[in-house]
Amino acid sequence: MKVAVYWGCMILTSQYAYEASVRETLPRLGVELQDIEGVSCCGAPVKSIQGEAALYLAARNLALAEKAGVEDLLVPCNGCHLTFTEAMEDMRNSDAVRSKIFKWLEEEGLKLSNYPTIWHIVDLLHDKIGMRRIAEVATQPLAGMRFVTHPGCHIIRPSNIPRVDDSENPRKLDELVEALGGTSMEYAGKLDCCGAGLIFAHPETSAAMAGLKLKSIQDIGVDGLVVSCPSCQQVYDAKQAVCASTIRSELNVPVLYYTQLLGLAMGLEEKKLGLHLNQSNIEKIVERLGRQFG
Amino acid sequence: MSLTDLMTEAKADISKRTKILTKVGDHRPYDCFNCMRCTSGCPSMKMLENKPHQVVALTNLGLVDELISSEMIWTCALCLKCKERCPQRAAPVDLILALRTSAVERQMKVPEAYMKALSMVLDIGLIQSFQEIVSRDMEPVTRDTLGLPTPAKPSEKFKSVIVKTLTGET
Repeated sequence: MKVAVYWGCMILTSQYAYEASVRETLPRLGVELQDIEGVSCCGAPVKSIQGEAALYLAARNLALAEKAGVEDLLVPCNGCHLTFTEAMEDMRNSDAVRSKIFKWLEEEGLKLSNYPTIWHIVDLLHDKIGMRRIAEVATQPLAGMRFVTHPGCHIIRPSNIPRVDDSENPRKLDELVEALGGTSMEYAGKLDCCGAGLIFAHPETSAAMAGLKLKSIQDIGVDGLVVSCPSCQQVYDAKQAVCASTIRSELNVPVLYYTQLLGLAMGLEEKKLGLHLNQSNIEKIVERLGRQFG
Repeated sequence: MSLTDLMTEAKADISKRTKILTKVGDHRPYDCFNCMRCTSGCPSMKMLENKPHQVVALTNLGLVDELISSEMIWTCALCLKCKERCPQRAAPVDLILALRTSAVERQMKVPEAYMKALSMVLDIGLIQSFQEIVSRDMEPVTRDTLGLPTPAKPSEKFKSVIVKTLTGET
C-alpha cells in the first residue's frame, strides 16, 4: 500500500529518531511512503491562539496531501492526528466554517475536495498490516522482555470522533508489542497524560507530571516504555534527566518508539533506527537482546 | 441587576458568554450539571489546581472577563479526559481553548511560548527551525547527517493567507 506521510513539526525539527525508524521499518512491511511538499504546522498549538487559523493550517495540509495524489494519509504524531480529525469534523459539520476555510485555501491556490483516510502508526500496523505479518518479520523476538506502553491522550480521546483505539482500554499498542514476542504489562497510570501539553505555559509542572509517571513505571520493574508520539517521547526520553531532578528522584527508564522496537525485532541496525538519538538508557534493551550497541 | 463576584467585584456579562459559545469547538457548557467528574480526573487539578467545572460554571454565569484574565485557563494540559468523561458533553477542554483565544483577542497576558511558536509558524511554517541535536555520544546530528530529506517551505502566499486567518479577514 502507498501512503502520503505528514510528519509534523516535532518530528521534522527534532524527533528525528521517529522519522528514521518509520522510514526504515514500514517499507519492509510493504508500505510505500510519499512525502508531501510545502507542509506547515498542523495547527495544534494555534488552537490556543485563534481557532479558525488553526483550522486553516489543518485544512491546508490536508489539501497538500490531496495534491500528492494518495488517498491514505499517515500521521505518526498523536497531536497532528487529532488536529486533522477534529478539523475534518468541524468542516463536515458546519457549512459556514467550511466555506470560510475553503475561500482561504483558494487564495493559497489549494483545493480540498476529498478528505483522506487518516492513519496513525498504531492502527496502520495493527489493523491494516496485521499482527500476523508483524510477527513474521520479527526474526529476533523480544522473548522474556517486559514492557509498558503509553498510548498518549490524543489518539484515544475523544471517542465521539474517530480515534485510533479505545478511550478507556486501549490495547493495540500492547498487542503490537506482544506480536514481537515481548510481554506488555497493564499499569495504573496508563491513560494519564505525559505533561507535554503544559510545556509552553508550565514547563516545570510538565516535567513533574512526566517524572511521576516514569517513577511509577520504574517501580513496576520493566525493560522499557514504548511510545508512539513525538511529544510524549520528548518528555519521557530527552527530558528524563530534567524530570528526575524536578521530582527529586532517580529515573532510569529506557524509552523508545514502537517503530524502533519493531526495527530491533526485525534485526535492523541500531543507528538506522535512530536509537543513538535516544537519551534514556536504551543500551539496557539492546543488551538484553544479546546485541552490542553500535 | 446583575451578578457580582464579591471577591473581585467583577460583573457578569451574558453577551460575552454568547461570544465564547460561538467560537470554534465542540463545547456545550450550558448542559453542565456540575457533577465535577471533569475536575476529579483532571491531571492539572493535582498539580496546578485547575478546576474545569469552575471554568464551565463561571462561563455560564457570564463571568467571562474574570476567566480570560486568569491564569487558570493556561493550566490545562489538553489531555481531553474531561471531554471524554463528561456525561453531558460539556467539553471543558474545548471551552478552555475558546477562552484562550478570547484572551489573545483581548490582548491579555498569554504565555510567551505560544506567541513565539506562532511567529515561527508565520516565518517558516513550523513551530521551530530544524534543530541540531546531540546523540548519546555527544555527536552533533542534523537531518542532513542522518540522510533525511530536506522538506520544502510553504508557498509564498502562505504567509499572507495565514495573517488573514488570524485577523478573521475573508
